[in-house]
Amino acid sequence: MRFSKSFFLVLITLFLAVYYLVCGVYLNKLGYTNAESLFYIEKARIVFEGVGNRIKVMGLTSPIFPFYATFIFFITCSKMIAPVIASAIGTAILFNVMASTLVKRFNDDFYLLILLVLFMLHPGILYVACSGKSVYLVLIFFYLFFLNILKFYRSNTTFHISIASICLVVLVFCDYKFIWLTLFFIPLVLSIAIQSLNLSEQESIFRLFLSFNSPSLRRKLISKTFALYIIIFILPIASVIVYKLLNLTHANDLNYFLESPYATWNVLSERVNFDQITSNRSSTLIPQEISLLISLKALVFCPMMILAIYLFRRSTYQILTLLTPFALIEFLHIKYDKVFIAYEYYLIFLILALLCITFKAQLIQRQKTLKFALLILVPVQIFTGYLFLAKSNLPEERNFITTLITRKPTNIDNQDSNRDISYYLNGLPGDSKVLVDDAIAYPVIAYVNNVKQLTMPYQDEFSSAIESPQKYDDYILVATAKNIVTGYTQLNNKYIAIIKLANSALNLRTVYQSDDWILYHIEK
Amino acid sequence: MSIPELLVSDGFITSDDKRIIEDLSAQTNTSFMKVALTYGYISRKNYERTLINAGYKIEDIRDQPFDVEVLKKIELRFADDRLALPLRIEKNKVIALMADPSDELFLDFIRFTYNLEPQVIVASDLDILWLSHKLIGEKYIKSAVYELLNNDPESSAIVTFTSPQLISMFVVLALMAIGLVVNFKNTSILINVLLSSFFLVAIIFKLFLALVGSRFELHQAITKEELALVNDDDLPIYTILLPVYKEDKLIKKLIWNLQSLDYPREKLDIKLVIEEDDDKTLNAVRNLNFPAIFEVIIVPYHMPKTKPKACNYALHFARGKYLTIYDAEDIPDTDQLKKVVALFGKLPEDYICIQSALNYFNRNENFLTRMFTLEYSYWFDYMLPGLDTLDIPIPLGGTSNHFKIEYLIELGAWDPFNVTEDADLGVRAYAKGYKVAIVNSTTYEEANNEPINWIRQRSRWIKGYMQTYLVHMRNPFKLWKKLGWKGFIGFSFFIGATPLTFLVYPLLLGIFIAYLIFDFSTIHTLFPDWVLFMSIFNLMVGNILMIYVNMMAVFKRRYYELILFAIANPFYWLMHSIAAYMGLYELIVRPFYWQKTNHGISKVSNPVNLVQ
Repeated sequence: MRFSKSFFLVLITLFLAVYYLVCGVYLNKLGYTNAESLFYIEKARIVFEGVGNRIKVMGLTSPIFPFYATFIFFITCSKMIAPVIASAIGTAILFNVMASTLVKRFNDDFYLLILLVLFMLHPGILYVACSGKSVYLVLIFFYLFFLNILKFYRSNTTFHISIASICLVVLVFCDYKFIWLTLFFIPLVLSIAIQSLNLSEQESIFRLFLSFNSPSLRRKLISKTFALYIIIFILPIASVIVYKLLNLTHANDLNYFLESPYATWNVLSERVNFDQITSNRSSTLIPQEISLLISLKALVFCPMMILAIYLFRRSTYQILTLLTPFALIEFLHIKYDKVFIAYEYYLIFLILALLCITFKAQLIQRQKTLKFALLILVPVQIFTGYLFLAKSNLPEERNFITTLITRKPTNIDNQDSNRDISYYLNGLPGDSKVLVDDAIAYPVIAYVNNVKQLTMPYQDEFSSAIESPQKYDDYILVATAKNIVTGYTQLNNKYIAIIKLANSALNLRTVYQSDDWILYHIEK
Repeated sequence: MSIPELLVSDGFITSDDKRIIEDLSAQTNTSFMKVALTYGYISRKNYERTLINAGYKIEDIRDQPFDVEVLKKIELRFADDRLALPLRIEKNKVIALMADPSDELFLDFIRFTYNLEPQVIVASDLDILWLSHKLIGEKYIKSAVYELLNNDPESSAIVTFTSPQLISMFVVLALMAIGLVVNFKNTSILINVLLSSFFLVAIIFKLFLALVGSRFELHQAITKEELALVNDDDLPIYTILLPVYKEDKLIKKLIWNLQSLDYPREKLDIKLVIEEDDDKTLNAVRNLNFPAIFEVIIVPYHMPKTKPKACNYALHFARGKYLTIYDAEDIPDTDQLKKVVALFGKLPEDYICIQSALNYFNRNENFLTRMFTLEYSYWFDYMLPGLDTLDIPIPLGGTSNHFKIEYLIELGAWDPFNVTEDADLGVRAYAKGYKVAIVNSTTYEEANNEPINWIRQRSRWIKGYMQTYLVHMRNPFKLWKKLGWKGFIGFSFFIGATPLTFLVYPLLLGIFIAYLIFDFSTIHTLFPDWVLFMSIFNLMVGNILMIYVNMMAVFKRRYYELILFAIANPFYWLMHSIAAYMGLYELIVRPFYWQKTNHGISKVSNPVNLVQ
């Protein structure tokens, strides 16, 4: 009995999904978690179990696609591991998508094997699959975007360019920072339009000269360039505008989904990470990232990218296309100067390099040399993947690799403290109400059994409860001064002082205290 | 001297022409004059000149008395072929109308049939045709109207609403009314959810179809190489039906367009189908001062006065192996017929129809024509190929659908009571296990450039979709069995959902505007969180996606200047809604009424316009 290749791919995909799931669940049981997945769990719990204005949470939680991807598993599987299941299955799908492209182009299993080895052993891919973070979705749509762009260069069909545009939309809604990728496509589109004109002249600069000096060609060039811009960028731009308008109508802030800690996890995470690192600079081994070196760092992380660029050495705008992610990370480094470049942005180069090899390798005559180069590059790649995780500036990333290697829980991310307070909250009488600000307390809420007990900012009564907690709640959860994010919430020690001043009759009793949290009981 | 000889001596045709006409006449069993006048050898004006020069008087014959008994002895086809008609017996002579008084075959027919000598009245061929079809065309016109009804009554739209359908509709309406009275809030929410779900599925389905269709944009059903292999000698006779009504302004243009078709002239069987009461068009043909390349068929008066009835009537006289329909203003790609023949040769036997893409030559004329072009580009370049790929019934376009005649007849041809007979025929063909393919060739039409005219045309289309849906949904389970689940869902979303979408669109838009203007809490009771979310998603994402697929379609056509007009689609859809309500009203009060679309009002007529 003979099975088709696609059937084998499905089998390998299933195997990978199970492999990632086992690793992910095991790491989760060991205590590994991260802010992003806890954030999704907390928001999903509000949507499914909360009482109040849930539409705002449902519509404005960002990034929206990873959140919805978690939704599916939140309904069908265990709540706490829903993000892990999503990322495990998502990464297996990423493998399937990449392998399908590969199998369509090659009849050589060597390349499939290389891909499989990378997907099984590369620490970065394991991080994507087992962490519960949304990187898997970013990588899927980043891959599909570039795949369709490259296909468009070859076929010049509307289908590929529009699929690329749709992928870009999803990519932007998986990680908003990718909107800046459009910036670097602006000059590229002009060069594509020039290239597509029917001119005998082959040299780009002379084609440009010719088309600008002939009125009819100029008109044609302008209309085609404009149309290309529209086809590629109208969807992402329109979607972002519509989404911003939705934010404006529902949250009175155009950038609510980007800047509010209630809408997105990374606004707080990134700042906290940066503050932590810069305040402990002497204790870290990683130097401050220097602008130009980011691209070099990406090449060190993914030397396969050099091979990819080499494969496209004779195609000008394909090369330009491959350089856009370098421009993107350089730009991100300048624009978000107080944010470290996350591991995700290095991983895109690995995906891009694999795409280029998939796209071009069958045209290379010296297959043995190429295979030999790949055999050397893959272990190097795996090692650099490990190195970048282990030496990362971000605790979450370091924590992952430490947990993976030592198979022991680590306590870099303070989740124990959050878990403890949530266990205490779970022990409270069923009818008691707790005032909580999920801007910073979402890791606590993620572990709470009954979110209906909590009064949170998404509910209309929250502002009234803040002013007169005794009328609405029995307990108040307050961040201590030691809590690293205490400045980002209303419910901190300053609040207690103010509310006591304003309401002298208010009698609060500390019932639980940890380094980060104090739970007050409101004596009535 | 015979008339053909006179034509040669007058210098209107050459001796070679005469020989070719005689050969063709023998091949087709038609008179010399008919061939000469309908294959572009001589203009009617010159023909009349020859007759007058020879001393004949061309008489006006429309009011001539006739004897039914005399008429009973002649078959319409014969009269039509010979351009002659015996009218009555007078003074022991048969008074016969003849366009060519020297047609010995017809004179012999008179002598043998009536045992009397003929007395000839020379008349214009068009008047003879007019009178022949009017007087002895009853059998054919009855067949054109009732053939489908008699053979397959379930497929005829003569009954708009069947009793079970009416009962079902009123039961649904009654349930809704009761629900609203008993529990207004929950019933409204339920209606809301159903509508939102329907829109969501419809939008996703359309996007999916467009993407499936767009994948094949490089696919050439017939390549240039395959076209080059087509041998003119092997080509079959091709019938082209041109149903017209009061299109006098377009006749000259029509001839130019037909002349540019790359197909051997003698293998074309072009029929200009004119209604009996349409003197305008008939006179336009009469007054042509250059040769026409079509034959005129006069459709006797009979209700309903619809295009499918006219086509059914003309089908009786078709001689081709394949048949297509063009509108008077259509400009088909010159190689379209050859491509179709080549594609039919390539496809399995069960493919009985091939649809060409339709687009507009006057797209840049005004806002409406631009929007129309956007819509058609999307429909014919993405949606139909999408349906074709997924093997879902294709609602045929109004023109440029090419049939195998034998199968068309087997299907019962067009339903004269259906005002979108083409869409109906596509579904009927699919239900019988036949298939429709798409060819990579375009016919350029005239986009409606006047809002009122546009709404009239669109109301007919939407009414026709409603009719077609009602006809085929008389027994949904049977239809499901015939079409399969894919076909059934495709049919429901394409034929059924289209009018419903346009009917519901202004209501939802009204609710949205009310939501924006009035107090949120008032509307909020009817929109629980998740319904509101779904509705906003539909409104935003749905509109953006539908606009985007329109952009994709014109991008594919390289109509770059139209891309931004896609943004105006929400306003354009409102016009659809007006047409949908008009169509609904007409479906109830006059279901078979054919809202005539005025053609020839575009100021753009230069076919060069369509070359990109």
